[in-house]
Amino acid sequence: MSVRLDNAIIRLEGECRVEDAEPLYAMLQDSVGRGVDLSAAGHLHAAVVQVLVVVQPEVEGTAADPFTAQWLLPLLNSAR
Amino acid sequence: MNDLMEQFLIEGSELVQVAIDDLMALERDPADVARLDSAFRAVHTLKGSAGLFDLVPMGRVLHAMENLLEQIRAGALTASGRVIDTLLEAIAAIEGWIEAIGTDGGLPAEAPSHAATLDTALRASLHLDAPPADTSAARVPDWLVELLLTEATTLSAAAAAGDTLTALRYVPAPDCFFLGDDPMAVVRSVPEPVVLAMTQREASPASALDVFACNLIITLVSRAPAEAIRRAVRFVADQVEIAEIPRATGPGANLPTSAVQLGGRSMRVDAARVDGLLDLVGELVVAKNRLAHLVHAAGPSIDPQLAHALADSQNGIERLADAMHSTVMHIRMVPLAKTLRRFPRLVRDAAAQLGKTVHFVISGEAEQADKSIVDGLFEPLLHLLRNAVGHGIEDGTHRLAAGKQEAGRITLSARRLGEGLVVEVRDDGAGIDPAILRRVAKERHLLPDASIDALDDTSAMELVFLPGFSTAAAVTSLSGRGVGMDAVRAAVEALGGKVMLDSRPGAGSTIRISVPQGAVATDLLTVQVAGELFGIPVEMVSEAAHVPADRILPLRDGEAFVLRNRTLPLLRLSVMLGLPAPPRPERTRVLIATSPSGRVGLEVDAFAERMAVLLRPLDGLVAGMPGILGTALLGDGRVLMVLDLPELLP
Repeated sequence: MSVRLDNAIIRLEGECRVEDAEPLYAMLQDSVGRGVDLSAAGHLHAAVVQVLVVVQPEVEGTAADPFTAQWLLPLLNSAR
Repeated sequence: MNDLMEQFLIEGSELVQVAIDDLMALERDPADVARLDSAFRAVHTLKGSAGLFDLVPMGRVLHAMENLLEQIRAGALTASGRVIDTLLEAIAAIEGWIEAIGTDGGLPAEAPSHAATLDTALRASLHLDAPPADTSAARVPDWLVELLLTEATTLSAAAAAGDTLTALRYVPAPDCFFLGDDPMAVVRSVPEPVVLAMTQREASPASALDVFACNLIITLVSRAPAEAIRRAVRFVADQVEIAEIPRATGPGANLPTSAVQLGGRSMRVDAARVDGLLDLVGELVVAKNRLAHLVHAAGPSIDPQLAHALADSQNGIERLADAMHSTVMHIRMVPLAKTLRRFPRLVRDAAAQLGKTVHFVISGEAEQADKSIVDGLFEPLLHLLRNAVGHGIEDGTHRLAAGKQEAGRITLSARRLGEGLVVEVRDDGAGIDPAILRRVAKERHLLPDASIDALDDTSAMELVFLPGFSTAAAVTSLSGRGVGMDAVRAAVEALGGKVMLDSRPGAGSTIRISVPQGAVATDLLTVQVAGELFGIPVEMVSEAAHVPADRILPLRDGEAFVLRNRTLPLLRLSVMLGLPAPPRPERTRVLIATSPSGRVGLEVDAFAERMAVLLRPLDGLVAGMPGILGTALLGDGRVLMVLDLPELLP
C-alpha cells in the first residue's frame, strides 16, 4: 500500500509502481484540491509522475528521494 | 475582431516580413544557415497561429513551406532560385491573406483553390534539385530550438562552465506501461542531468486522463558524454532522439534572440493612442497660450506678488508642455527600414516580370523619421523604383552594347541632411533625354510650345512632373497605373517635402526626395455640414463669404451667385457628400475654392474654427474612400474627416 489518503492529503510512501497510478488519480479526482505528500516516497513510476504532471495537485513538503527532490518537485511546482 | 486576432494580424505581418527578408538573403547566399533557421521559425510560428484561427488554406500553404524549408535545413535540397521563387510566391499569398483578414475579416473566397495550387508547387519543389552531399550544416531540430529557448539561462551557465551538452528527447510508446517499461527509470539512469522537462504528447484535460497510456514527452539535457547517454537509453533507443547542443549556435548565440529580447524593454502601442496623446498635447499647448494671455491681462489689476507667482507657474507649465510635445513627437519616430525593407522583393519581382537583372542596394534604413513620413514615403518610392526598373534600366543586350554591365544597378539611399532626410533613388540605366521630354510635352500640349522651347535642359527635366505627362502610352503594364511623376510629387509635397530629378542620357537618373523628419501639421478650416464637422485644408480655400439667399440664381440645372462682378457656380457641400440639405438661411455661408475648372462656391451650414492637425491617411475599412484626404483626431476624441476638394469638385 503506497498511496494512502490521510485527511485531505494523499501520501505516497515507498516505491510507487505503475499500479499506484490509478488509485492516485481516483483520489485526486474524488475531491478537487487535495494535496500530495511525497516526503516518504521513493522512486515514482512514470505512470504516477504522469498523473501528477496532468492533474497538478499541490505538492506538500519536500521529498526524501534525491531525484524526486532535485528534478521532479521543481517541475511539478513550476507547472502550477 | 478579438484581441487575439488583432495580435495575430500585427505579428503575422511582421513574421511574413521576416520570412521574406530571410528568403531574399538566402537567395543571395544559400549557405546562410542562420537565415534559413530564421525563415523556418517564422513560417513555423505562422503555421501555429493560423491553426489557432482555423485558417485552413493558410495552414496548408505554411505546412508545405515548412516541409520544404525543413528539407533544405536537412541538406536534402538546395535553396536554388526556383525553390526560393516558389517560397516567395507562397509567402506573398500569405501576406495578401493576412491583409484580407485585416480589411474584410476573413480569407478571400479563392483562397482554398489558390492554396491548393501553391501546395502543389511547393511539393513539386521538394523534388526539384538533386541533394548535394552536405552533412556539415548540422540541422537543429525544432524541439531543441524550443528547449534552448526555454532553458536559455541554465544552458548558457552550463555551457559557460565548459561542458559539452547533449540533449535527448524521449517519447515513450503509449503502450510502454503494459510492456513493463518505466520511462522514469530510464530518465533516472541518464548520468549528470542539467535540465529535465516534461510535457504531454497530446493535451488531455485533467479530468480525462488515461492512466494506463503513456502520454509524456521527456526532454533532458546532460553534461555526460554522448556515449554514456546512449548506453543509458539503449533499451528504448527507438523512442529517443539525441542531439548535441551545438557550440557555435550555443544557447542565445544564433537563436531567435529577438523573441527573448522582445519581452524586455519595448512595448507595442497602437499608433492611434500615440496620436491621441499628441493631440492632447496640442490642446495643452493651446490652453497654455490662453493662460499666458490671462496672466498678462491680470498683471496690472492684482497684487504684484501674486502676479509674479502666477507668471512663474505659467512659465513652468509652458516648459512642461513643450517638453511633452517633443517627447511625444519622439515616440512617433520610426526607422525608415519599416518602409524600405518591403522594396527588395518588389524590385526583384518587377525585374523578373520584365526579364531584367537588377542589383538593388539599400542604405540608410536606420535613419528615423516621423511615422507619417515613413509610411507616406512608401507609395512615391514604390512608383520611382518601378519606373527605374521599367524605364530606367535597359535590357541586358542594350546594356552590354552600351558598354555597361549586364545587370542594372538601382540604389535607394537615405541620409540625414540638417533637420530633414534625403532619400535618393539612383539607377544606372538609360537616363532621360531632355529632347524627348520636350517633344512629349509638346505632343500633349502641356505648355505652350514657345515656353517649352525656352527651357534649358535642367528645367526641361521638370516637365515630367506636370500632370498629364505620363499617360498609358508612355508606361508599361508595370509602372502604368495611371499615376505619373505628378502623383509622386504630390505625395511628397503632402509630406512637406520636395522632389528633384537629375538625369544624364546614357548614364542613368537620380531622383532626390527631401522630406522633414518630423510630422508637418496641416492647417484646416473646419465647417459644419448637416450637423457634422468636416475639415478642409486651408490652402484649398481662397476666401469665405456670406451670400444673401436672394442673390443665388438658378443656372441651368445648378445654381450660381455673383461675387465681385464674377459669376461663380454654387455647390452645396451637403449634396456632394450625400447628406440631407437643411433649408437655406437668409444669408448663407460660402467657401470660395479653386477647382481645376476655375473658382467655385461651396455652400456650408457654418464655419467653425481653424486648427493645425496631424493628418492621418485613411486606412482600414475606409482606405481609398474617394473625396476624403484623411482624418484627424479632435481634442475631445472625435474623428474629423478631412475633405479632398480637388477630388470632390466636378
